[in-house]
Amino acid sequence: MYQMNRRTALITIGTALALAGCGTDEPEKKGDDLSAKRDGAMANFAVGTQFAATAPVSFSLLYNNHSFYPIKNDWLFWSELTKRTNTTLVPSVVPLSDYESKRSLMIGAGDAPLIIPKTYPGQETSFVASGAILPVSDYLDLMPNFKDKVAKWNLGPDLDTLRQSDGRFYLLPGLHEGYWVEYSLAMRTDILEELGLEIPTTWDELHTVLKAMKAKYPDQYPMSDRWGVPTPGGALLRVLGSQFGAPGGWAYQNATWDPKAQKFAFTGAMEQYKQALTYLHTLVAEKLLDPESFTQPDDMAIQKLASGKSFVISTNAQTLVNEYRPPLAEANPRAKLVKIPVPIGPMGPIKPDPKTRLENGIMISKKALDSKNFVAMMQFIDWLWYSDAGQAFAKWGIDGVTTTKDGSGKYKPASDVDFIGLNPGAPKHLQKDFGFSNGVFAYGGSTELLQSTFSEEEVAFQKTMNARTALPVEPPHPLTDAEREQATLWETPLKDHVTQNTLKFILGNRDLGEWDAYVKELEAQNSKAYIDMVNAAYERYKKQHG
Amino acid sequence: MVTVDRTRGYRLFQGLNAVILTGVVIVTLYPVINIIARSLSDENAIRSGSVNLIPRGFTFQTYQYVASDPTFWINYRNTVVYTVVATLIAIILTTCYAYVLSKPKLKGRKALIWVAVFTMFFSGGLIPNYILISSLGLKDSIWAIVLPNAISVFNLLVMKAFFEGLPAELEEAAAIDGMNTYGILLRIVLPLSKAVLAAMVLFYAVAFWNSWFSAFLYMTQSDLFPVTVYLRNLIAGATSATSVGADATNMTVAANIKSVTIVLTLLPIVLIYPFVQRFFVSGVTLGAVKG
Repeated sequence: MYQMNRRTALITIGTALALAGCGTDEPEKKGDDLSAKRDGAMANFAVGTQFAATAPVSFSLLYNNHSFYPIKNDWLFWSELTKRTNTTLVPSVVPLSDYESKRSLMIGAGDAPLIIPKTYPGQETSFVASGAILPVSDYLDLMPNFKDKVAKWNLGPDLDTLRQSDGRFYLLPGLHEGYWVEYSLAMRTDILEELGLEIPTTWDELHTVLKAMKAKYPDQYPMSDRWGVPTPGGALLRVLGSQFGAPGGWAYQNATWDPKAQKFAFTGAMEQYKQALTYLHTLVAEKLLDPESFTQPDDMAIQKLASGKSFVISTNAQTLVNEYRPPLAEANPRAKLVKIPVPIGPMGPIKPDPKTRLENGIMISKKALDSKNFVAMMQFIDWLWYSDAGQAFAKWGIDGVTTTKDGSGKYKPASDVDFIGLNPGAPKHLQKDFGFSNGVFAYGGSTELLQSTFSEEEVAFQKTMNARTALPVEPPHPLTDAEREQATLWETPLKDHVTQNTLKFILGNRDLGEWDAYVKELEAQNSKAYIDMVNAAYERYKKQHG
Repeated sequence: MVTVDRTRGYRLFQGLNAVILTGVVIVTLYPVINIIARSLSDENAIRSGSVNLIPRGFTFQTYQYVASDPTFWINYRNTVVYTVVATLIAIILTTCYAYVLSKPKLKGRKALIWVAVFTMFFSGGLIPNYILISSLGLKDSIWAIVLPNAISVFNLLVMKAFFEGLPAELEEAAAIDGMNTYGILLRIVLPLSKAVLAAMVLFYAVAFWNSWFSAFLYMTQSDLFPVTVYLRNLIAGATSATSVGADATNMTVAANIKSVTIVLTLLPIVLIYPFVQRFFVSGVTLGAVKG
């Protein structure tokens, strides 16, 4: 028995290695014969249909266990889902802290559940070569809701960014109707009033405002930022960089599409990136921006803000309400902190990153194709993650139990249910006690649904941001397997070099006059070869697929 | 003259020692006390950075809150069960292996030692291990945690060295009196080895109590996780930048809840130390000196 199992294990390893070695999967015809895989599927599933399997079915699911609402088996979500869809999900629970490692491990070992959610666009590419992931683009005909939303919201170009060199895509992304700008700066408006200043609308005005603050409070840094670890300037460089035309921080990618030149450029060597760094360096040099912004833990930055030692910090809607205002109000009841519209940069009034309207989404194990319930599974996924009814259910739960929908169609949590502080002190919590608004199931969707959880000031912020123009989506440039292997070898050292020097330039440890030398160093690490490869891939894809 | 000098030097040494060790104690204790203070403080006080060694906004509510989470206690119970079972198995296996290896007359002794030591330097790797455990059907069972880590080679070598140091005459005398090998091990050797056994129990118990990785690898239900996985998820949150950046509904767990969980997880294993300490020191040095 033991011997047998060991042998099986060895064979499996061998197969895994072989698969990893020769990644080219055999050509598969689009729309293979699925007639044997229709058990439990509905005959005429369409937009607006409530999915319910014709026989009870169950599917395995990789579950990202959030520490704020740890999974409970008695959540109303699970029972109601089974009641409505005749489908049971069998979760494989993985702690949020190590979700990505476990996902790689399970896929690598050939042991992944059928449904693998919480995968961000781009993360799926490393699994494509192994042949373990289903090319979902071949099976979209089973998903009417998905197709409907893509057509209605004109998401075709966004989807194209997901395509691999074979022209297919392997990830079912979350879809947003509109752009959703999350990050901006929070600013103490009571200090602005004290100084008789307006909220800055451009980065230059921000510079002026910070200088005025410094003049009044010379002993402190007016701005001390967070989200610096492990990516320096995670949020700040993302927001600032995108306004200058070269997103950095969390959004940093080695290749950035330059719409004017109609080709990709190496982000870390772009003139726009240099301008963004120069701007930040000026702030640091004039002692307007705390140099610790890029190295301190988040708690420290919040402490400085709360104790009035700084007035400006990066924020999103949640952190503003949950993490900044309560301690600030306790320390200084007169303080007013506001999330300001993203300041405008040299690119004009554009929407900052995100570059696409795609969210994290779902990979499907290829072995799902062997299941006789395959079609039912695709219909189920389509209903829960992509239909209006499914999305509203996953987000708000059941009308009259967890939520109430008023005449104008606006959702509110039921009176005994709390959610993001909307009913403080209520005995139950929408996420913790019922399992709704769970990051695994509820994301994306229409602007109306998205903003149903927003506060009024956040809705106003989104309105301002949505009035700006969106940049064109960058074109697909899928690499072949061999190229990707080469690219992986180049990408990490390049990115590390950019990150290190980004920090040095901002803090002034390296003079910006050495920029050309720095670009040469990048070239010595193959930045040019890398960009040439990306541009060649772009040209090739354009030729092959239009 | 010489004695005075020596005394002076010795005093200096003692003084320096005291200063340095006090420094070490402070550095070690400070974070512990800080965590305890945080666990008893109000969340906003922690956010505003006013909690150091003394709790601000003193409250027991956080303890009540954490204690009211059934998952925490289920995971806590798992940790206790895993630690006890795993330590028991580890001690039995390590003792047997080490005792056998300590006998020079054993045929193939070198090969057996080599097999053990080999695993210190080389392992099959993550994915093969995972496949092995899954195909053995151990996933989602206590055995996935207990069995693969049952023998720690380091502990094995310490124990072997200890057994080698026991006088052979004792065992010969027992053999002449008619005891078989098992009798000698159980009635003569083990009673003389309490010190090393206590040290081993402590080593293993602490290691199993703190371990989270095997549970993370082989468990797929949250009811089976040990409390360390629960704790790690709470503290680490999302570790990758993409997940941090893209999830705005991402609510973070309050700092005082984290602290309470740390304190509760830390407590039992800290409480064990004083009881085993006297064995602990003599046990380790005995093995080491004669190894």
